[in-house]
Amino acid sequence: MSAVATTLNVMQHAFRAGIADYRAIFTWKSWLAGWYVRVLAQVAFFALIGERLGDDEKTYYLLVGNSLLIAAQVGVFSLNMTSAERWAGTLPLLVASPSSPVVVFSARGAYLAIDGSLSALGALFIAGPLFGMDLPWPRVLAVVPLTLLVGLASYGFGTFLAGIVFRYRSINSLVVVTTYVSLMAACGVNVPLSYYPEPLELLARFLPLTNGLLAIRGVFAGLPAVEIVGNAALELAVGFGWMTAALMSFNRLASRGRRDGSLDFGA
Amino acid sequence: MRAFRAGFALELWIIRSNPDALMPLFTAPLFAIIFMAIVRQSGRPDLESDALMAPVLMTLLWVALQHAGTLMVGDRWQALLEPIIASPTSLASVLLGRIMSLMCFGLLSFFEVWAVGKLVFGVSIPFEHPVELFLTLVCTALAMAGLAVTFSALLVMTRNAYTFTNSTSFPLYLLGGVFVPVAILPDWIQPVSSILFVSWSSDLLRASVNEAPVESFWPRLGMVLLLGTASFAIGRVVLHYVLRRMRASGELAAA
Repeated sequence: MSAVATTLNVMQHAFRAGIADYRAIFTWKSWLAGWYVRVLAQVAFFALIGERLGDDEKTYYLLVGNSLLIAAQVGVFSLNMTSAERWAGTLPLLVASPSSPVVVFSARGAYLAIDGSLSALGALFIAGPLFGMDLPWPRVLAVVPLTLLVGLASYGFGTFLAGIVFRYRSINSLVVVTTYVSLMAACGVNVPLSYYPEPLELLARFLPLTNGLLAIRGVFAGLPAVEIVGNAALELAVGFGWMTAALMSFNRLASRGRRDGSLDFGA
Repeated sequence: MRAFRAGFALELWIIRSNPDALMPLFTAPLFAIIFMAIVRQSGRPDLESDALMAPVLMTLLWVALQHAGTLMVGDRWQALLEPIIASPTSLASVLLGRIMSLMCFGLLSFFEVWAVGKLVFGVSIPFEHPVELFLTLVCTALAMAGLAVTFSALLVMTRNAYTFTNSTSFPLYLLGGVFVPVAILPDWIQPVSSILFVSWSSDLLRASVNEAPVESFWPRLGMVLLLGTASFAIGRVVLHYVLRRMRASGELAAA
């Protein structure tokens, strides 16, 4: 079997393991009655702030931003992958195996990008009409691949962070939650990027979600296709950049953990 | 009382050794920045004090749900429930001590939010009615402890307690009117909100930092305490039956 075929084989099995994990957490009923209700409530919470401000445009701005945030938020949940492996006691085995851990992690948590995108689209297409927002047909269809792009870019970012916190299990949840709330604060979700000081605006451009969200706002505003594609390309580049950083750093960080014996769940 | 104090001190030690427990102290300032940015950018300085109060309530609810509400689940996973129940000390007293410790910890978010308002936006929390504000915060923390006992009792036997608590946070923020008053919510939701003490707390907190006199303060504060006490009573009853069932069926250990 060639190296590529072996890698694909590992990724396929890891992806199936991820799906099995997810099915152990949620049934479609508990997903709808638990997770999806939370997602809708989260988006409605912010949209209602717009209502309180008495500004329909602001309501729609908050609704779109916070719907798309869900795709990024779930993508960042990939950080939990390493922690889960550690709790299960399988992390040392994974690191000791000839396959690269990052290949396994990136495939195993790939369902998160799909789940996040579906949750975000489910929130946007249900909460949008509930708040009286216009979904321009057929232009709105462009939102679907753009949301998936946001989910994938955020997933790459989460995988990179997973490498960083690989050896520090005790701060895993702290990093997950702080990261997604930081994305909520910095990526133009609730206020335009121009509201921030210039250095922060520049930094936000290197985070997942920012450029993809601009592309999606462009779809709703009816901006020229070239501008939307430009922002989408930037989102793709950012996601690719974070995934490359993950690939480059993950194995080195894992090796360090192997050397100092900090990989087992007792560490 | 000794069990309560022991539980209180124990939880402080646990917080100290578990950096994840500091999570609300990281998110409260971020939410304060988010809400302040929204109201500032929209030119609504009249909502700035509300924007500062919302993260405090969100933090207390988060602590009640994610930390206090899952205390017993954690104990069960670590096989601590059996020795705790076998000991002569009252489990409820230890539990309440631990939960109150977490609530005091959550109240630190008030000072954080105050600092963020001052340092980042140059706005202080307006202490228009300081006594009312103080009493509301204290009674809210007590009521949250009651709610946490209920969550703790309900979640101890579940397989996915964290999935449940994760799914409950924003629905509670919404129903509790932590930023948007219940009056703005759709009519059909309002009766549900009115039986949640959080909605009374959030209204009172907003009123305490606004210039206008706080109307019917004592009855409204009484409702916070009454509903919080009802939560605690429900939690105690559920805990009693759950523990009896677990003892009878040998389910105290997670395995």
